[in-house]
Amino acid sequence: MKYVVAVFGVICAFLLADFIWSQGNVESSVSSAPGIARGVGAAPAFDHALHGDSIGLDCAACHTGSRSAGHAYLPSKKDCMDCHRLPLTEKPGIEALDSALANAPENPWSSKSILPEHVVFHHGVHSAAGVSCTDCHGTRSGAAGTAAGTAGTALKYSAAQVTMKSCIQCHKGESFKERNFKPAATYCAACHR
Amino acid sequence: MDRRDFIKSCSLMAVAGLLFGCRKSVLEGLGTGEGNLRGPSPKAFEDEVRLAMSQARGRLDLVRVNAPGKMKSSGLLEGAGCNNRFGMAIDLDACDGCGKCILACNMENNVPLVNEDEAARGRFMHWIEMRGGVPFMCAHCGDAPCEKVCPTGAANHTPDGISAMMYKRCAGTRFCGANCPAKARKFNFLDAQKLGLARKFNKDVPLREKGVMEKCSLCLHRLQNDRLRFKTESLGEWRGRGVTTACAEGCPKNAIVFGNWLDSESPLVKATSGRQLYAPRELANLDPSVVFIMGKR
Repeated sequence: MKYVVAVFGVICAFLLADFIWSQGNVESSVSSAPGIARGVGAAPAFDHALHGDSIGLDCAACHTGSRSAGHAYLPSKKDCMDCHRLPLTEKPGIEALDSALANAPENPWSSKSILPEHVVFHHGVHSAAGVSCTDCHGTRSGAAGTAAGTAGTALKYSAAQVTMKSCIQCHKGESFKERNFKPAATYCAACHR
Repeated sequence: MDRRDFIKSCSLMAVAGLLFGCRKSVLEGLGTGEGNLRGPSPKAFEDEVRLAMSQARGRLDLVRVNAPGKMKSSGLLEGAGCNNRFGMAIDLDACDGCGKCILACNMENNVPLVNEDEAARGRFMHWIEMRGGVPFMCAHCGDAPCEKVCPTGAANHTPDGISAMMYKRCAGTRFCGANCPAKARKFNFLDAQKLGLARKFNKDVPLREKGVMEKCSLCLHRLQNDRLRFKTESLGEWRGRGVTTACAEGCPKNAIVFGNWLDSESPLVKATSGRQLYAPRELANLDPSVVFIMGKR
């Protein structure tokens, strides 16, 4: 009898535990669901113009890796908080920002790379060669992530416009003539694997 | 049931519940569960290497060759006269034919398994195979006959001496395989991904599709990654120093040496200086970059 109770108890405990923890998992997986679009879910509205043009912040400050590594990352909430936990201004509206940040998920923005796995694109090496972020991504105020970014001064090379042709044109020196870039490698295995 | 037993079973239940609640994250950490869908176990790859080695036939008829020099300039190949020419030397005095290089290569380059039918025919996808007890792979000939017959330009040469394969360009004519005198190329007769024979051990190397030719790439991805890092950090002229191939890394006897034939500081130049170089007879006139070394210094 004692054993029957014990076995029954263990099964009940398993079911209870499963219920409790799976509830938690569902919640967290919904809130951190990755989306291709930036600013998904409860992400705070982000204004590139306010961060780049007015306070002179470099793209790489938030998009880590864009000057030093292959992949340029999107900032997490912690990166925002590095600056925003400091009292920056006394303007009204900062409370609204604080609450927006407080409610934002851990990784407010996400994007899926459009780069196929047989293509190598290294942000750092382009940056080191003197290519500026805006050459490909448009102006800061027009960069993706703002409401204004979708119209007018949008990305120069958006997902649909990045083709091998646009890579090769610049590597051969046919585009961006005014920038006087050094000629770049055009053999297949420079960029393909 | 007395009071003591009741409390005992209650606390046991609580502990069991806690442990059960932890199970998901524990399993995720071990990489099982969903991980099973990623491909066959590493053990299967080991077994296949053992099988391939037991079935290995063919011998190498080695003849003496000169050390590879600068790439000859050709119309198709811009940037000829490049200061790098990558290659390898396999020290036959040190090699005992253990086959660890094959497994290291397979896992580095996501080389798929083959089914039983293909295995019975001896058609493995391994980029390195044993010939006469000696590891043999593509020699990255400077005058590569495979590249000359490729109708799509998928098989081509880099200025730094690698006979590279652009899988997405390959239309699967297999002309290159037919024109390779050493038969170093492997054709994907099977859709390894669909059949669950492929596993992505290394995210840097894409999986190949059915109907595509493949072969040793001299760990092209490692060279590319190092070159890009080097240029990003503006460290001067890139000579590929510090890069090595998976097979060289996996060799317990250090019998495989990777390096740059044109760089006097390269371990390859140091290992081969004063030693006689050999290549398979059929490749000797094609300026191979991967050679064998034997005999006293």
